[in-house]
Amino acid sequence: MKNILSKYIFVIFCLIFSQITNAKTDECFNCHSGLDDSPSKLFKNDIHQKVGLSCSSCHGGDNTSDDMEISMDKKNGFLGIPSQNKISEICAKCHSDIENMKKYRTDISTGQLEELKKSVHGAIAVDGKGMILQCTTCHNAHGIKKVTDSGSLVYPTNIPNTCNKCHGDINYMRKYNPGLSVDQLAKYRESKHGKLNLKGNRKVAQCASCHGSHAVFTSKDVRSKVYPLNIPETCSTCHSDKEYMKESNIPTDQFEKYKKSVHGVALFEKKDISAPVCNSCHGNHAATPPGISSISKICGTCHALNAELFGNSPHKKVFDENNYPECETCHGNHLILVARDQLLGVNEGAVCAKCHTEEKNPKGFKAAVKMRALIDSLVVLDSISRRQIFIAEQKGMEVEEAKFKLRDVHQAELEARTVVHAFDAEKFSEIINKGVNASNEVISEANSQVDEYYFRRYGLVVAVLIISLLALLLYFQIKRIEAKQNL
Amino acid sequence: MKKIFTNLYNWVDERVDLSDIVKFMSKKYVPVHSHSIWYYFGGVSLFFFIIQVVTGILLLFYYKGSADLAYESIHFIMSKVEFGWLIRSIHAWSANLFVLAAFIHMFSVYFEKAYRKPREMTWITGMLMFFLALGFGFSGYLLPWNELAFFATKVGTDIAGVLPIIGEPIKIFLRGGEDVTGATLSRFFGFHVALFPGIFTVLLFIHLLLVQRQGMSEPLNEKVKKTMPFFPNFVLRDLLLWLVVLNLLAILAVFFPAELGIKADPLAPAPAGIKPEWYFLFMFQTLKYIPGYVLFIEGEILGIFLFGLAGILWVLVPFWDKKSEQGRQNKLVNYLGIFAVMFIIVMTIVGWLL
Repeated sequence: MKNILSKYIFVIFCLIFSQITNAKTDECFNCHSGLDDSPSKLFKNDIHQKVGLSCSSCHGGDNTSDDMEISMDKKNGFLGIPSQNKISEICAKCHSDIENMKKYRTDISTGQLEELKKSVHGAIAVDGKGMILQCTTCHNAHGIKKVTDSGSLVYPTNIPNTCNKCHGDINYMRKYNPGLSVDQLAKYRESKHGKLNLKGNRKVAQCASCHGSHAVFTSKDVRSKVYPLNIPETCSTCHSDKEYMKESNIPTDQFEKYKKSVHGVALFEKKDISAPVCNSCHGNHAATPPGISSISKICGTCHALNAELFGNSPHKKVFDENNYPECETCHGNHLILVARDQLLGVNEGAVCAKCHTEEKNPKGFKAAVKMRALIDSLVVLDSISRRQIFIAEQKGMEVEEAKFKLRDVHQAELEARTVVHAFDAEKFSEIINKGVNASNEVISEANSQVDEYYFRRYGLVVAVLIISLLALLLYFQIKRIEAKQNL
Repeated sequence: MKKIFTNLYNWVDERVDLSDIVKFMSKKYVPVHSHSIWYYFGGVSLFFFIIQVVTGILLLFYYKGSADLAYESIHFIMSKVEFGWLIRSIHAWSANLFVLAAFIHMFSVYFEKAYRKPREMTWITGMLMFFLALGFGFSGYLLPWNELAFFATKVGTDIAGVLPIIGEPIKIFLRGGEDVTGATLSRFFGFHVALFPGIFTVLLFIHLLLVQRQGMSEPLNEKVKKTMPFFPNFVLRDLLLWLVVLNLLAILAVFFPAELGIKADPLAPAPAGIKPEWYFLFMFQTLKYIPGYVLFIEGEILGIFLFGLAGILWVLVPFWDKKSEQGRQNKLVNYLGIFAVMFIIVMTIVGWLL
């Protein structure tokens, strides 16, 4: 026991001794501390100083000599103040070296410089001397803290201000992207995320959560976490994590629902990047759930006509009075399915009957039944029209005109599905009638082509018969003449 | 009925004296032998030409020869004009059958050595008409202004352009400029409906006149013992065959109507598998097989030159085939003819399949 204790004391002694000797040998720091300059003051609390690095680790030179002529001699590898890309390269000397970094943390990433170089910040700056950003732009040069230290410039609650140093400076930003707004921080502070972040919540999203830290790309770049195709997944990193969202008390199934929705299908399956993603409705920097009264305005940014028709419809007033969310009441929010005709009417799957029951509201009930019957009849006529065109086409007949006219039928269906938002049975039936007339014309045109097909076939039979009969008569005439000649 | 005809005949006879013609016609006899069947192909070719003239004039009532309207006007003919689809399909089918009948007629005359003295002029006018028929085909193919026609014309005129010295001017003359454009369509339309028919009619008149004047050629090595009167026997048989051919045309036109395809777009890339009409296919395919350079001559030029030379020799056969003129068999002519037929058939099939 005594033996073990004496060994333990010896190890501690050695460690203290080595620290003292180390401190004693870092003559750069000793001298600069004496000068009381800003770098040495900051370096005192720098994580790098704590793990035993000295000034010469980055600036070169001989840190064992107290003679400036020797310690800051270029022959001894003194670099002075590194500039431009040299800065990041010096950082990367250690931070890109896996073996070296393993000494501090086994899970530490070592690809930061490579990521930075590929990122939008890695492009050449306007002065043409190096990258737009160097490591020190965000992490500072001296006084660097661990990311988990609240004093770090890249600590979650500090990141918005760190990014805003450049992104909030119009004079700086116009040199690189004059079209990019510089009010992101102001917007962010208005968002749920921003408000909580300001209160010191380090879990809520800040700039790096969505844009990435080192591999930051513009939102038009497919590699960006905020490229439309990637946004739902980026948001879901937090919002679908039940454990992570535990304290927030909001559902975590939005992403799953969105994937199944008409918008999600358009985005993920059809790769339609114009399809709305999370930020289209919630905003991006000022992300907040839309209020009940503003839903139709938000959906209306794309579905403009529907929103306008709804706004002028009798439903608008009733919805407002009862505090019903406008579009959402019938279509849902994250799980918005394709608005099929089955939504209309009073049957299973229809939404009108939710309010318009036969007993309480027979007028609305009847209108819903009527409108559903009208659109159903047009859909049936549309399918008959297409079938007749198909039959005529299969017979090799000319159906271009019928096909062209068929577009009017489709147009009427489209219009009817839009006008339905006016909830006016008369207006609705007018549009349906237009479609019915067009469809009757298509069917008649296609049928006439089928008739023409048979006319040609029967005509051919008649023509062939007549010509053959003539040929036969001629043959007998020749025989008769030749028989006479022989006589 | 007969009385009306007699009266009408007498009325005309009284004024222009038809007795000479009637005398000539009644004394004209057609030899009857084992090869008589080939005599009918001239008449069949004539029948197709008549059909082309009639249907062509009907199409002209609606066709518009400009790049903006050609395709649409044919679409209109096919879909709106009463029996327009039938007229166009017959015109298209009859064009192909006309060339086929002309091919058969030409080869039958060649193998029968019917071109020998004194029928050299009949052969020459026939050959010129044959080339014109190919010209009709080439120019008519472009008129619908569809994608296939556009690129086939481009390729066809490009081939003419490779000839040294005269190639480029010929190409520019045919196209009406550097590229196949509306100007090409206009001039092809002009060739098709005015220039070619005018020349063809003159040649046809001479050709028929010579046939009537000299009568049918008899085979070299077969003693003809039987004859039949040209009128009415041969004429009625001709008519009978025409009726059969008309039936065939009607069936083809109804069951396999002419297609219109996609409208030509000069800016679009050429679609895969561009092929000329079947009667140019053997030449097109041969040019593909000739290597880029043969000795120091460019392959394509050599090909065109050889086809040109073969064509000239073919046209001039009555003048170098002295044996046939003297009534002796000329095996070389037969071998050359068999080679030509085999070559055309094989290369056409190869071109069709590949």
